[in-house]
Amino acid sequence: MISKDGLAADLAAGVLWGWLSLFVNALTGVFTPEAGFVHDLGSFGLAGVINAFVAGGLLSLFMGHLPGRSVMLKAVTVSVILWLVLRAGAMMLSHIDPERYHVATWESLQGLLLAVLMGVLIGFGRRLVAGRRVPAHG
Amino acid sequence: MEKVLVWNNPSKALFSAIAVVGLAFALCVMVYGMESIAPGVHDAFHDFRHTIGMPCH
Repeated sequence: MISKDGLAADLAAGVLWGWLSLFVNALTGVFTPEAGFVHDLGSFGLAGVINAFVAGGLLSLFMGHLPGRSVMLKAVTVSVILWLVLRAGAMMLSHIDPERYHVATWESLQGLLLAVLMGVLIGFGRRLVAGRRVPAHG
Repeated sequence: MEKVLVWNNPSKALFSAIAVVGLAFALCVMVYGMESIAPGVHDAFHDFRHTIGMPCH
């Protein structure tokens, strides 16, 4: 289960991740954006929120079944698995319709690293919320 | 603290599951740019799709 604060932390991590993705792509130059900066700011933010909601929901669902004790590690695992599942679906689409779906190796590598980054951000947010919940002693 | 995703409460679990599955579907529509399901989604998320490494035209 997840608290309201945990959900808010996930969504905030999603917006941040979307914008960081835009920034990382601008730094690496792996893909030259075709839309304007303001449009991408909105679309990357929204896409980040949706991605983080799904990853956060799956993390909450499988929290007890994932290996390790660190929330950060679990969040990274879920985020990477989610990306791999989406990527596997994309590979199938690419196989069915190669004209429409072109595979780009460097973009894929960047996407995998961004999936790790999303897990780190979600894990960090969850840690922050868990830390705030611990009552102060003394 | 109010729990918004609760798996041991049937009605809340159903709502939570619908929300996660619904947005997971929206995520798929977005990352694959399925114009037939949501017109405009391909162009709207084109740069995002390339940035996260999903095959596109």
